[in-house]
Amino acid sequence: MIRYKKDKDNIVTLTLNMEGRNLNIINHEVSKSIEPILKHLEEEKAKRKLKGIIITSAKKNFLVGGDLGYLYHSKDAATIFELSQNLQKLYRQLERPGVPVVAAINGTALGSGFGLALACHHRIVIDRPSIRLGHPEVKLGIMPGGGEVIRLMWLLGVEKAFHVLNDGHRFSPKEALRIGIVSALAKDEDDLIDKAKKWLNKNQKFSRAWDTKEGTIPGGTAKDMSIAMTLQKLSAGLMAHAYNNFPAPQTILNTLSEGSKVDFDTACRIESRNFTQLVISNISKNMIKAFWFDLNTIREGISRPKGFGKFRPKKVGVIGAGQMGSGIGLTCLKSGIEVVLKDVSKAIADRGKEYITIHLTKLLDDGRITSGEKDKMLGRLKTTGDAADFETCDLVIEAVFENEALKVKVAHEAEAYLDEYAFLASNTISIPITKLSKSCAHPANYIGLHFFPPAEKVPLVEIVRGKNTSEETVARAFDFVKAIKKIPIVAKDNWGFYVARVQNTFILEGITMLQEGHIPALIEQISVQSGMRMGALALADELSLPITLKYERQAAEHYGNKYIEHPATVVLNQMIEELARKGKSKKAGFYNYDDSKNATGLWEDLTNHFSTKISQYTKEEISERLLFVQVIEAVWCLQEGIIKTVAEANLGSIYGWGFPAFRGGAIQYINDYGMKKFVERCAYYEQVHGPRFKIPKLLREKAAAGEIF
Amino acid sequence: MTEAYIYSALRTVRGKGKATGALYEVRPLNLLSTCLSTLQQKHDLDTSQVEDCVIGCVTPIGDQGAVIARTALLHAGWDEGVAGMQINRFCGSGLEAVNLAAMKVRSGWESMIVAGGVESMSRTKMGSDGGALGFDPDVINQVGYVPQGVSADLIATIEGFSRETLDAYAVRSQTRAAHAWEQGYFTNSVLSIADVNGLAILEKDELIRPTTTLEGLAGLSPAFAKAGLMGFDAIALKKYPFIEKIDHVHTAGNSSGIVDGAAVVLIGNEAKGKDLGLKPRAKIRSIATVGDEPTIMLQGPTPAVKKALKMAGMKAKDIDLWEMNEAFASPVLKLQRDMEIDDEILNVNGGAIAMGHPLGATGAMLIGTLLDELERRDLNVGIVTLCVGGGMGVATIIERV
Repeated sequence: MIRYKKDKDNIVTLTLNMEGRNLNIINHEVSKSIEPILKHLEEEKAKRKLKGIIITSAKKNFLVGGDLGYLYHSKDAATIFELSQNLQKLYRQLERPGVPVVAAINGTALGSGFGLALACHHRIVIDRPSIRLGHPEVKLGIMPGGGEVIRLMWLLGVEKAFHVLNDGHRFSPKEALRIGIVSALAKDEDDLIDKAKKWLNKNQKFSRAWDTKEGTIPGGTAKDMSIAMTLQKLSAGLMAHAYNNFPAPQTILNTLSEGSKVDFDTACRIESRNFTQLVISNISKNMIKAFWFDLNTIREGISRPKGFGKFRPKKVGVIGAGQMGSGIGLTCLKSGIEVVLKDVSKAIADRGKEYITIHLTKLLDDGRITSGEKDKMLGRLKTTGDAADFETCDLVIEAVFENEALKVKVAHEAEAYLDEYAFLASNTISIPITKLSKSCAHPANYIGLHFFPPAEKVPLVEIVRGKNTSEETVARAFDFVKAIKKIPIVAKDNWGFYVARVQNTFILEGITMLQEGHIPALIEQISVQSGMRMGALALADELSLPITLKYERQAAEHYGNKYIEHPATVVLNQMIEELARKGKSKKAGFYNYDDSKNATGLWEDLTNHFSTKISQYTKEEISERLLFVQVIEAVWCLQEGIIKTVAEANLGSIYGWGFPAFRGGAIQYINDYGMKKFVERCAYYEQVHGPRFKIPKLLREKAAAGEIF
Repeated sequence: MTEAYIYSALRTVRGKGKATGALYEVRPLNLLSTCLSTLQQKHDLDTSQVEDCVIGCVTPIGDQGAVIARTALLHAGWDEGVAGMQINRFCGSGLEAVNLAAMKVRSGWESMIVAGGVESMSRTKMGSDGGALGFDPDVINQVGYVPQGVSADLIATIEGFSRETLDAYAVRSQTRAAHAWEQGYFTNSVLSIADVNGLAILEKDELIRPTTTLEGLAGLSPAFAKAGLMGFDAIALKKYPFIEKIDHVHTAGNSSGIVDGAAVVLIGNEAKGKDLGLKPRAKIRSIATVGDEPTIMLQGPTPAVKKALKMAGMKAKDIDLWEMNEAFASPVLKLQRDMEIDDEILNVNGGAIAMGHPLGATGAMLIGTLLDELERRDLNVGIVTLCVGGGMGVATIIERV
């Protein structure tokens, strides 16, 4: 568990090595095994047989964060508070009043794992770009609770500590040194231990700033006007960003504000209380569910067809060197895959290379890749105007303009050079994969790979299975998406697939409100305040109104005589045909746009055509309507098998169209809201606003059985 | 019921509230004790007959800390038997002091009180006393705190007050204030500030710019756009989601000036006034305090005024002259719209946009300004109201006797 070794200088090296695990993780086990060692070390110190301690790891990582399964199921405040206090006690024992301790960080240290390093007097890390350091807890709706918030504040000052905790950034060693969360870099494992010992030999009298009389928090405390002003600015910033829907950043800021005014131990106790509040909150449960459990379910391959060997893509062709194609290329390069980027000419394809180079240079500057790695990646990229260069590609992804004839044409060109094991993928957003595949020589090898812009950033890829797509092609597409470190969800080929189909309900509900006579700005504000990435009308513009209408027509076709006309289509028709405002691409939609297609504000004539009639409303109802339609449609998709699993439906909603992450996704929303309450509320909306609030059988049955999703 | 009468009202000149302002060299204590001394001399007041001194001060720290009311009484050589206290209701403090004094008198438990206010904004910066409302991250977002300028811009956005409308109001404030000074309307009530030798330091309001023009004001940049961008607009929009965006139309030119100054008002019952040989100038007819939505913050005057009118059994048309503090142009225009007030009876001698707003003192100053003008025009009833930080409002109706 923990290896103990003492050298001739009386320096003890503790090596973390958890049995039966690939990684060291911090849990009750670690805490329990450290305690007796610390006690022994104290005795050694009393006998003057101890000069210093080095903590390192025998695994490829140093130590990573807490036991999320345990936190997810914890609902009792007293238990969590005690857990946090115990961890703090442990770290306190380590840093006081013993001998100097060095964290010799030989691998990734995140969350409470980095917390252990923070409790050491000195932190040295191997300068290896793959190593990640920091506190990403905020991304799961929580914050550190082992005194890390307060230690970071004492190390960096209130503002910097806030940014480290609020961004949840996983720092490379170079970045970590630059911002000051580690003390030094080492070349390799030997250099690491060597530097640690040297430091211990030099720094015999060492105590933390917060344990000395003269120690102060860099920059001051919240009692100082300058820091008070900073806190005011940061608070407002939380509202400007996502309308403060995520409680963790606010709680971190509160902890820093309060913690800066009192002594270290009191501050840590405040941290424990606030940590507890976040852990037992619904929102952290939603986020842990989505970003840990659902994510792992997907990664483990729940939707990958079984019985096919693992596909290891080596060379990928991309057609179209625009932002989407380049982004896909960049993503592949970063995962060690060769890329052939083709456009109508090599010169145009080279623009994509330029885009990729800019991104790689930024990564190099941040110390996240080495210059050697950058050169290697660019070396793996070939730009071309000739489809013949696709010859040895394992797959070719088409990311050209949304035009059926064009998509068919480029697919044909590529297909001519591919062998029968290779597959073709389209990044279409609205053309059925089955239709596109029909003219291909091997429709079984044709699939949809729907990336979301910007492709290098959005972690989701929607795999679209056409009617003719083979199971093996789905399995290979799944492996490819995993190989480029994205989250694969598998959807059936229907209008808008899963993501755009559900997203469209949000847009249409917003437009319906406009048609009913709601104030346009209200629709937009409440959309965003409810946690959506943008307003329903803004999103309609972004997607373009004809595409929005096209999805709805495809839905009409699908449902045939069962289809009930959506009230929003009247508005869409009027906007498109009569008012000639088709959206952002035409620089005129619900919004006005400048020449660079930046929205300058809602179209001033909107209320002349769709007059405002409603002055009485509740924010809650508007918000719920906008979210409920999405949730209900997501359940329809589950019921119809458009998407197979709750995990995919949840993450697809968050990453695909920006359903509020703090709700845990479109399906988790129902669990969070309360199954019974949700069903009752739908009945009310159905009565007032129409059949689009009618709930699918799947939901009705689950509710009746008292189950949750 | 014992009535509360106003026997006297004095105020200092106002100096620019910064290090280059004339009164920066003067302690706030002197501003207040100058008022107290003059009050005593003017009426040959037997100060042992005064029971309490209630002083509004919004930033009661440093020079203004430790109950400046009591300190100033002792410094001005008043009888040791006069108690003092300092109160804070933000911008409403000076008027609140008057109202509290009136309540003390009307309760019958006390008979002669000095009310007033003091603020040296050059010495003690606005907001430098901290506090959870504007500086505690938890409170800021929970309550929906925004800087007052953003609130003023929010009112303007909702009400559709354009930048031109606000600037035109500001020009009027400057013109009216300059005219009043020229004509000597303020002469009997405004005190110069002098040094220990009696040498004059400031004899006229320092901030007034009689030459202010619409064109000049149009050149000023919005004062609160940056704060809005920082996130305060989002805080406001969270409560007012029907607005697309906030128009930042307030500038240094159509907002109140930051100044130093002090004021006192002598309030007592009829019997004590007679004993002391004082002549009552007006009766306090009613007072009102209200809380209102804190993010838009500055709309308290309307409900406060309504409450005060109701208490006095009056209607808006019974008011001969209105004084509403010009913290910003938009809250004044909002009250004007709500209460349908004629331009010709609202802030007739200008206001804080021209002369400045010494936070804790302004309410008490406005009582004096109003009373002087009612007498000059030989009118009867007037009202003073102020919008107040944190979403409050204060109002007082006075009637000449």
